[in-house]
Amino acid sequence: MSFSWPRARAVFWKDFLDLRKNPGLLASMGALPLMLVFVPAGVVWAYTRQPDDPNLQVIARYYDATVRGEAAMRFLVDKVLVDWFAVFLIMPVFVPILVSSFAIAGEKERRTLEPLLASPVTGLELLVGKSLASLVPALTICVIAFGLLCLTVNLAAGAAVLPTTMWTFGVFVIAPLFAFFGNGVAVVISGRVGDSRLAQQLAGMTVLPLVGLAAGQFGGFLKAGFGYYLVITAFVLVLDVALLIAATKLFDRERLMTKWG
Amino acid sequence: MISVENLARRFGDRVAVEGLTFEVKPGEVFGLLGPNGAGKTTTVRMLTGLIAPSAGRGAVCGYALGDAALRRKVGLLTEQPGLYDRLTARENLTFYMRLNEVDEQAAWPRTLKYLERFGLGGRTEEPVGAFSKGMRQKLAIVRTLVHEPSVVFLDEPTSGLDPESARTVRDAVAELASEGRTLILCSHNLAEVERLCTRVAVIKNRLRTVASLTELRREGLALEVRVDGDASIWLPALGRLRFQPRANTEGSKLTVLLDTEAQAPEVVTELAAAGARIFSVTRAARPLEEAYIELVREEAA
Repeated sequence: MSFSWPRARAVFWKDFLDLRKNPGLLASMGALPLMLVFVPAGVVWAYTRQPDDPNLQVIARYYDATVRGEAAMRFLVDKVLVDWFAVFLIMPVFVPILVSSFAIAGEKERRTLEPLLASPVTGLELLVGKSLASLVPALTICVIAFGLLCLTVNLAAGAAVLPTTMWTFGVFVIAPLFAFFGNGVAVVISGRVGDSRLAQQLAGMTVLPLVGLAAGQFGGFLKAGFGYYLVITAFVLVLDVALLIAATKLFDRERLMTKWG
Repeated sequence: MISVENLARRFGDRVAVEGLTFEVKPGEVFGLLGPNGAGKTTTVRMLTGLIAPSAGRGAVCGYALGDAALRRKVGLLTEQPGLYDRLTARENLTFYMRLNEVDEQAAWPRTLKYLERFGLGGRTEEPVGAFSKGMRQKLAIVRTLVHEPSVVFLDEPTSGLDPESARTVRDAVAELASEGRTLILCSHNLAEVERLCTRVAVIKNRLRTVASLTELRREGLALEVRVDGDASIWLPALGRLRFQPRANTEGSKLTVLLDTEAQAPEVVTELAAAGARIFSVTRAARPLEEAYIELVREEAA
């Protein structure tokens, strides 16, 4: 049977509708972006409140010994925004994990998988429909959070410090690739375990490298920048291709019925 | 409508089912009978295109098993209704209409008729999570019909339901049968099978028999003896017979299962000799349960 967009769309429609009616999951999806928006805004506000505070120079010199005088405040604001992008990337990875972990393991748990597979829907249509149902909300939240971040950070700084080219490129190019990665990991793992909560926990661990990178940046061990994020993106792109191949193989009807869980 | 020949399915080294050969005619209500783990669900999964057979061949509605197009022609009611609790009844059904790519405008009036008939007409906008088990199962039956399948497979439709819910679901299935649909009823509930099916295949990892219910019952003979008082006190008398028949009692009725008609006079003589006052002796059809138990107890030759 050839690929049918109406069937893939039907899967997307159903999963999206189910998500809209799940207040617990919606609250989980909304909590992380709020933290990712308001924490940097608070830090920027703290830095810009007293730009001539000598402590700012001390902090700035920890990262760059050449920073002098009032440039310290601007240096720190720029640094926190560059470094925070690694933390911000947790969102496009984590939100699809929340949704996609229920993708197949959830269907199996609720005993809805068998009637679903008995319908004419193909494995690829399921994969596409379910991935869209997780990627569309994740990227929508990401863009809305980015808009809010620009607004709150600029208000806190009292100047237009966002969006920068790196952030704009990051949100519209890098974030979708990371979202695809999070979705792929969740789909593959939720296929190998029969419990959606376990799938969520296991897939959730994939954000740990991002947390590690961010910690390295804040600790001054890694120097982040546009090029740095491009290298990470290239790596994630390779992982995305591998996950796509793995997920396509896993979405074989017979495998879903007999091997998963 | 359905024909299978030497169908088998293995999972690794384990044989789920093998040697299945049978045919189902259009409009027939066919039962797949067997104990738990006999391979009924595996058989249904093969016939609905969910899994491929390991050996053998077959066709449903003219489509070979394994042909993806087959899934457009069949409807499957699984043991668990498999509905989305947060979605309303209408949304659940709409989802399956879209998966089957049916014209929703044309399908809804037809679907609403089924909903009305099953007492769910006014509940379409309610979340399915609020439905009782019986209502959910009836909604799942309607879901199997949204694309007007030629064959409907019902896998243990009343399993886990309370007697009242089971009865409403059985009535719903009987209504479908009365429409002349081809139904495959997978069950170990003999009363259900007796009420709904015309022919059955008895399986226990392999095909034990394919027969009409009348043929199954005819394979043995039952003698109903009405005696004075409690019939159970005469059971020891039957133990003195040379052929040791199986027997059960219900009040003053003693039912003795025989292999041949020639054994009947010996039973009556023995009871009379033991002192039983016999009011009547009638020949009865062998209960389906007896035939079934005999078949599933048989060891593979």
